[in-house]
Amino acid sequence: MIRTEELLLNVGPQHPSTHGVFRIIVKLDGEVITEATPVMGYLHRGTEKLAENLTYTQIIPYTDRMDYVAAMTNNYVLCYAVESMMGLEVPERAEYLRLVVMELQRIASHLVWWGTYLLDIGAMSPFLYAFRDREKIIDLFNELCGARLTYNYMRVGGVKWDAPEGWLDKVRDLIPYMEEKLKEYDRLVSGNEIFLARIRGVGAYDAQTAIGYGLSGANLRCTGVDWDLRKNAPYSLYDRFEFEVPTGERGDCHDRYRIRLEEIRQSLHILRQAMAQFPEPGPTMGKVPRVIRPPAGEIYAAIESPRGELGCHIVSRGKAEPYRLKFRRPSFVNLQILPKLLVGETMTNLITILGGIDIVVGEVDC
Amino acid sequence: MGDLLREPLTAGNALLFLLAAAGLLLIVLGFVTYAIYFERRVIGWMQLRVGPNRVGPLGLLQTVADIFKLLIKEDTIPRKADRALFVLAPVLAYVPAFAVLAVIPYTSGLYFADLNVGLLYYVALSSMTTLAIVLGGWASNNKYALLGGMRSAAQMISYEVPLVMSVVGVVMLSGSMNLRSIVAAQGDWFWQWHFLPQLIGFAIFVVASVSELNRTPFDLPEAESELVAGYHVEYSGFRFAFFMLTEYVYVYAIAALTTVLFLGGWHPPAPFLDIVPGLIWFVLKFALVVFVLFWLRATFPRLRVDQLMGFGWKVLLPLALLNIFVTAAYMELWIK
Amino acid sequence: MKGMLQGLGVTLKALTSKKVTTSYPDEPLQMPDRFRGIQYFIPDLCIVCNQCVRVCPTDCITLTGKPNPDPEKKGKVIETYDIQFETCILCDLCTEVCPTEAIVMTNQFELAAYSRDELFKDMHWLSANDKQVRADNNPIGAPGKGGGK
Repeated sequence: MIRTEELLLNVGPQHPSTHGVFRIIVKLDGEVITEATPVMGYLHRGTEKLAENLTYTQIIPYTDRMDYVAAMTNNYVLCYAVESMMGLEVPERAEYLRLVVMELQRIASHLVWWGTYLLDIGAMSPFLYAFRDREKIIDLFNELCGARLTYNYMRVGGVKWDAPEGWLDKVRDLIPYMEEKLKEYDRLVSGNEIFLARIRGVGAYDAQTAIGYGLSGANLRCTGVDWDLRKNAPYSLYDRFEFEVPTGERGDCHDRYRIRLEEIRQSLHILRQAMAQFPEPGPTMGKVPRVIRPPAGEIYAAIESPRGELGCHIVSRGKAEPYRLKFRRPSFVNLQILPKLLVGETMTNLITILGGIDIVVGEVDC
Repeated sequence: MGDLLREPLTAGNALLFLLAAAGLLLIVLGFVTYAIYFERRVIGWMQLRVGPNRVGPLGLLQTVADIFKLLIKEDTIPRKADRALFVLAPVLAYVPAFAVLAVIPYTSGLYFADLNVGLLYYVALSSMTTLAIVLGGWASNNKYALLGGMRSAAQMISYEVPLVMSVVGVVMLSGSMNLRSIVAAQGDWFWQWHFLPQLIGFAIFVVASVSELNRTPFDLPEAESELVAGYHVEYSGFRFAFFMLTEYVYVYAIAALTTVLFLGGWHPPAPFLDIVPGLIWFVLKFALVVFVLFWLRATFPRLRVDQLMGFGWKVLLPLALLNIFVTAAYMELWIK
Repeated sequence: MKGMLQGLGVTLKALTSKKVTTSYPDEPLQMPDRFRGIQYFIPDLCIVCNQCVRVCPTDCITLTGKPNPDPEKKGKVIETYDIQFETCILCDLCTEVCPTEAIVMTNQFELAAYSRDELFKDMHWLSANDKQVRADNNPIGAPGKGGGK
């Protein structure tokens, strides 16, 4: 008597490809997934609740730890929200510094994604190549603000440090270097037939579905929707720069891969322009009251983080601490589509699709 | 060696054979130790790192330390595992891996068994390891191990067919399945070796053998990013060491087989280079094959199961059959 | 085929190229001046204003003061000053608000310990940690002349 049984498999929380402590319970029929249930919360630290008892300056180091691969953008979204609420002026040089570090951060974040994604697919070397180049950016940040991962660099009304001597030149040197390295990456894997066969047509969805699930970032743009908050709702100084928003057509993992690599190129393009028009030395902190007390009210500020729309919703009662603080974390929102994408796929594609969404568990669980 | 093999089996000869086998075992263990070191070094360099350099001079004792660690580690057997099969699997994996080495000739005089069906013996024995891998995966009573074992069974069975088919051309050209005769049938100049006349066969053989070795890009049974470690996920200590040993002994075997079948064995690439002993040429070609295996691992991503199976059955097998047909036609039309 | 061969070319080229790793424990890492490492505390400069305790986002600093033993002088002097490095995130805020730069960052970052107790650093330990002290502390958050409110 032959009978078949569904296999209930626990992928994670300790699993090499769940990028931290993320868990998916899958039901397998052979190697085909019939049901997938993501389980999260293993890295929950209660940032939003903690923030209710902290002043705005004290929250900034906590935002570093949400998306720890792209801490600069997290810093920015909080400062941006508070500044918009209080109507603060940020000195031009500080704003340029912010923009430069955010674009560098985008490159660093996409490099981490690129390396780990290829690692998921089974190629070891790209990870090391990506980290070699990310290291250069991390070193720049280390020189600028004294930390390699949790920067705590931005402050409400400006930035903590002006660029040290020679730092801007190092950024200028980095741009041609990275452009050269991107070509190397393309030679290394982008054209590899095995790799293309692995990601083409995998995890595809259309624009309607993507919008329905609230996806943002490369996960949305891969379906052809031209939506980038840097263009569509400009913040910081992005309206002063020329750049393109790469979009895909098929909405599959290959499009997401292509878009992220292209975004690195566009970031370099923005950096090149920013370095050309970088303002002369001046103040890097605006006029900020001693204690930051935004007026009573609410604000939602959103920026384009490397992973998508990163929002910060502050409810203030006019105190030094927020009454309620909510972060719209792109990793968390983008993850919603995972159970839908996984049904009918194989175990191998689970890894490809999960990696393609580009989550950072610190941000998912916050 | 040849004269000794033809003599009647006496107690003294049996002892000699035993010593020779033990000697080969030591050589193989030495190869495995330094192949792992070499692999880590090469991959390290290709990844802009330096590789192991802490234990011993230049890190040469790194693998020794690793093996020592595996040997003194606690040997765990999961409570729900099928104990007898769990224990049997690593042994069953290793024995054929070592047994296939018997038929490989190193020079015209240095070989361990002069078997007329040497190639068949190799292919037949090496498939037994699949059984051990499935057994180990199943006996562990672990879902990841089971998936790894199933993948391995599917993969090894479907790649064994093109592997065997791809060497049929070589067998036809040399008119023998004896590995010594196959080497002897390859000419003095390197373009007379089988890898050029049998280019399709050679290509299929390389792909299928990498797949048989479960190495990147065909390392699905132990895909660490999907199945954590695949069939040996529950194994620890020396049982795990045996699975690793099996894998690297097969690297040895396949590299030697490639050298013998396609790269002219101990022949120098040109007749006037025969001042260098044949064994050196053999080792050089052998090392080149091993290096290519490591090089592939440092570069390629992994295939997907369905693509792997499709590639094996839809591309490699028809190509191998075509190769046999073309070889037969060539021999019929030109050689005769 | 072409893509695969290109990839093989890249890795082959890397085989002989310059390696990028450092031999860290053998050669100490040189951090830039702004690096935020374990704090250096100067008891003589401390005016017990409690700013660092209040600004610390993880509440890892505790301090107590006592009246100045010199009856001529006003104010307090520091008695105990402890930082709990289990929770300290080296965020730089304490050095930023310190009006007298009594607490400053250093380039020391090696905090690995066998016991959690070792991560509790008191005033003596912190004031002995005087190597590679950061030169520029950029106290943008510090109150102006006259001390804390």
